Amino acid sequence: MASLLQFEKVLMKCSCDIKSPIINLYFCKHCLKLRCGRCVSHEVDSYSCPNCLENMPSAEAKLKKNRCANCLDCPSCNHSLTTRATSVALTDSQSPDKKMTKKVYYLACGLCRWTSRDIGLGDKETASGGWEEHDNPHFERLNELLEFYHQLAIKEKNEREQKKFNKRRTYLRLQEKYFSPGGLATRRKASFLNALSSMAPKTDEPEITPVKLIEPKEEVDPLPSKYYTQPLVLEKVTTLAQRLNRPEFASSQVEGLYPRHKHLVIKRSQRCRECEHNLSKPEYNPSSIKFKIQLVALHHIPDVRIYLVPKLYQAKESIVTILLSNPSQEKMETELEAINEPPSTGLLTVPEGLLVLAAKDITAEFDEKTADTSEFKDNPEKKSSETSQGHIQFRSGHKLGVLFKVTPQTSDSDVVVCFKLKYKYHNTSPSLRTPVEDEEKPDAVWLEHEVEINLGATSP
Amino acid sequence: MTTPSQRSRKVSQVQRVKISPGAVVCVEAEIRGDVTIGARTVVHPRACIIAEAGPIVIGESNLIEEQVLIINKKPDDASPSKDDKPETLVIGSNNVFEVGCRCESLKIGDHNVIEAKAAIGRDTELTRGNVIGAFCEITSHGALPENTIIYGDKYEQRRQYEKPPDQTLQLDFLMKILPNYHRLKKSTKTDR
Repeated sequence: MASLLQFEKVLMKCSCDIKSPIINLYFCKHCLKLRCGRCVSHEVDSYSCPNCLENMPSAEAKLKKNRCANCLDCPSCNHSLTTRATSVALTDSQSPDKKMTKKVYYLACGLCRWTSRDIGLGDKETASGGWEEHDNPHFERLNELLEFYHQLAIKEKNEREQKKFNKRRTYLRLQEKYFSPGGLATRRKASFLNALSSMAPKTDEPEITPVKLIEPKEEVDPLPSKYYTQPLVLEKVTTLAQRLNRPEFASSQVEGLYPRHKHLVIKRSQRCRECEHNLSKPEYNPSSIKFKIQLVALHHIPDVRIYLVPKLYQAKESIVTILLSNPSQEKMETELEAINEPPSTGLLTVPEGLLVLAAKDITAEFDEKTADTSEFKDNPEKKSSETSQGHIQFRSGHKLGVLFKVTPQTSDSDVVVCFKLKYKYHNTSPSLRTPVEDEEKPDAVWLEHEVEINLGATSP
Repeated sequence: MTTPSQRSRKVSQVQRVKISPGAVVCVEAEIRGDVTIGARTVVHPRACIIAEAGPIVIGESNLIEEQVLIINKKPDDASPSKDDKPETLVIGSNNVFEVGCRCESLKIGDHNVIEAKAAIGRDTELTRGNVIGAFCEITSHGALPENTIIYGDKYEQRRQYEKPPDQTLQLDFLMKILPNYHRLKKSTKTDR
């Protein structure tokens, strides 16, 4: 990740060989591999309305066509509609001088100021509304077609089973006897009949009621002359987006825009396809933003960020500062290895040897004094021959600024460098791994991921 | 161009702000030049009404919220010799200027709403029942048709069937509450 807004600059290779920014990656603690949204299985956990946050079981959601029963969207701009209260003066028919006020409710949009009064919907006396639903004008035709396709599906299924049945006729009787519910005698009889009927031409096939075909026409009605004679009033005509929002009405006039029930949203859980463990599981409560399980890569593997890029010139070595940060509560040993192959467009030299990242101390962010980093001895003055001193720009807390030498090999495209990030991963929850009695420490594994950094264009 | 300090000195010499009885104008509001404020108009603290190029006349029952800038601005290319005929900025009644909007328009009718952070140019005229949506900047020349609403980042337009509801309750509430927490500018006796 380069910054909060330019996360696509630093990409990591997932186990499915697709590169993604680290914020889109999951880390499966069980397989110890990176997973991205494309290589996990997604499951719908719960349905809820984003406006009233009401939870809905999946069967009910299906029944209501994935829409909330109470909340409505503005037909003009798709913003949520709010109920507005107002009082109207009523004159009593018996005593005209006695004035009464009544509280009434109507729908209004906060963004485009559309109101239900605009299309002539009457005000309601209850806040919950009870807004009349407009039936789909093509309801009957749609049902007719649905019925027809349903029958076709049954017919096809029957034909498929017929084929199977012909092949497995010999053991069908046993199958019927042992696996089917219902009385044994009647079953046997039925199966016997079935077996017989399969040989005879089938007669009890479900009747398919044909649907009315709509013939295509060469001639269409001529364009009404009002389009030539009357001026177009843009404010009265609906936009294409407004029409397509309600394809069943597709009203061309703004008076025909009726509010639409709000779409439900889902909460998903992600599951690793290999070990079938959950990588991310949200809490069911729609108003909660917490997760029961959340194995995002950002919490487990070292984060790589671009810290400082000087002006890059073609075929000239520049020193780029890259920030490595350790998300875990334990010291992390890392090693880097440059990959100077395509898609890399620059020659990269990375620091050799072990780079140790300090443990992340959550309280350090609130502490005035910086954490003690003297134990790492990467101060250039105290340079020792065998470690990678001189490659380290700075160290603060769990972060480490590392100097990369980059020689761009291109002048017309962005400079991209690739390297392997190897690190020792400490599994902090030992119960997840196979228990090893003789080991006291939680086991640590060396893992490696490919990282691709886009450093931007070269200067001329 | 005069610097702000020069300008304020000049204005303080001739105090020409007229506030009708019944208007609630907070002391912290910055009002400069020849400004007339009608009855039942509420001007919040930190609102800015600057009559630089000519007088400003504000009608009745308007609501002018915080950080609003209403300015009768000198055109950038105006030469000093042309200044002899100052134009008046006229604002009708029942308008709402929401937080942080900027209004340079010379003619604003009645029942208009300028939402938060919106801006209107000098040559645009609001007629009646217009709503300029939040963060919309309108600098077109000429008048907007009545009940036109401009909203969203794509400046979508639609026509409303009735003017936006009056802010009577809000004005009553503010007139009751504002004097409890702010000092008010005294209304000037008009000779009319």
